Amino acid sequence: MRQIEGVMYQTNAPKGVDPDNIFFVQVDATKCETCGECEEVCPTGVIQSINDAGIRAVVDPAGCVNCGQCLAHCPYGAIYEGVSYVDEIFEKLKDPDTIVVSMPAPAVRYGLGECFGTPTGTYVGGQMHAALRRLGFDYIWDNEFTADVTIMEEGTELIKRVKNHGKPGAYPLPQFTSCCPGWVKFAETFYPDLLPNMSTCKSPIGMLGPLAKTYGAKQTHTKAKKIYTVSIMPCIAKKYEGLRPELADSGFRDIDATINTRELAYMIKTAGIDFNSLPSEQPDPILGESTGAATIFGNSGGVMEAALRLAYEVLSGKKLADPNILAVRTHEGINTADVAVPGFGTVKVAVASGLDNAAKLCDEVRAGKSPYHFIEIMTCPGGCVNGGGQPLDPELRASLFKSTVARINSRFRARNTRA
Amino acid sequence: MIMNRRAFIKACGIMTGYAVLSLNMVKEAAASAMDFVGIRQKSVYDADANPKIYKIRKSQDNPMVKKIYDPKTGYLVDGPCGNLSYHLLHTHYVDRSAKVAALKAKGFKLNF
Repeated sequence: MRQIEGVMYQTNAPKGVDPDNIFFVQVDATKCETCGECEEVCPTGVIQSINDAGIRAVVDPAGCVNCGQCLAHCPYGAIYEGVSYVDEIFEKLKDPDTIVVSMPAPAVRYGLGECFGTPTGTYVGGQMHAALRRLGFDYIWDNEFTADVTIMEEGTELIKRVKNHGKPGAYPLPQFTSCCPGWVKFAETFYPDLLPNMSTCKSPIGMLGPLAKTYGAKQTHTKAKKIYTVSIMPCIAKKYEGLRPELADSGFRDIDATINTRELAYMIKTAGIDFNSLPSEQPDPILGESTGAATIFGNSGGVMEAALRLAYEVLSGKKLADPNILAVRTHEGINTADVAVPGFGTVKVAVASGLDNAAKLCDEVRAGKSPYHFIEIMTCPGGCVNGGGQPLDPELRASLFKSTVARINSRFRARNTRA
Repeated sequence: MIMNRRAFIKACGIMTGYAVLSLNMVKEAAASAMDFVGIRQKSVYDADANPKIYKIRKSQDNPMVKKIYDPKTGYLVDGPCGNLSYHLLHTHYVDRSAKVAALKAKGFKLNF
């Protein structure tokens, strides 16, 4: 075990293991103060009391969507991560025979700076690219590029579904987004009957892995088998996604390692890089360039807004003058909007933030009462910027008063149950 | 006024209590106005709208996206949802409900 940005990690870099059997988050019973905060925020309820004293645990990985909201809310640092590729990545970066490729997600650049003392939410994309270059990554490619590609693929898929709606053998409407790995596992586990509604598109990282080892290898005259791809995410569930056996379409493992924002900060600190004095640098072209539509993937409602910026222009044949589609921007709960597209009609969309809200929309679809064409779902309330792999809210452990009260309450309850 | 040791400690305790309490109340008021997730979200939208950070705001206008889908020379020459796209960029899903059904059969309660 090792502490990284206030969170404990097991040094464990699984290969060829069924991710369904891994605990990506688990409670350290010796540190659990039985406050129950984790159970409150757990979307599926799989983290629960395992004894009379109220000690919590993830009882089975089958019911866990690996979102890490429990970890992000535990005031006692009692929840640890079960998978960390940090040591393996350091080894690969030293190996002259391995071409190591960086693939950071949009939301990482809005959280990473916090580990180096910048105010909450400071954009540090340029310094992040510079830091990755200093760490020794051979290609600074960026997951935001494939966020743009995702819009092209998922938008085209949606337009196809709308055009073919009602025809025999057509994929059904509404179409659900498939970028969020917590949501994908949730649907596979609790709403498997709705899987035909799921976009067949891989998530942006699921696209960048195979593109790096095919298109990227070709463009840079690199042998694909030498390429080692590192997915850098604001998320813990992405570690599960990286291990999915079917993600091997490049002829190799598409994603070799997955770390989160906290682990990247740890790597930068361990390498002795002075992050705050780094200049702002660009990613490498080919698989690095991106747009505003890509960066908003980090927010709940962002994928929807980016997709509508495409769908509007494709369906109407006109230029969208103002790319801001404020109606779908979602901080919490469910947002719905009717977007009028000239020459086409109304596109009905919904955005759900958090899986309890997602379940409401799923139940509607299941009952055949869903009026929507396209539904975006994010597991973490607010989206990836609030992912389980992001730097912790500084208030969380600083709130001495709240945690003291929780501690006294738990001692009191423990005494009562013993009596 | 002469304060004995006991009174001094008591006064310190009360002052500490007020300090912690009021500090938290101030923090909570600030948090309700804009919590840290909201601050990060705002930063994302600000970057999207800032031409110094993102010159282009639509995926279809990204020159590297145009290059990869170029109908003559692009790597994904048959366009979005074309054959190579389906091979590399699309996937399928797996029904994972059996394991959770087994978990429920053992007596564990879940939210769904």
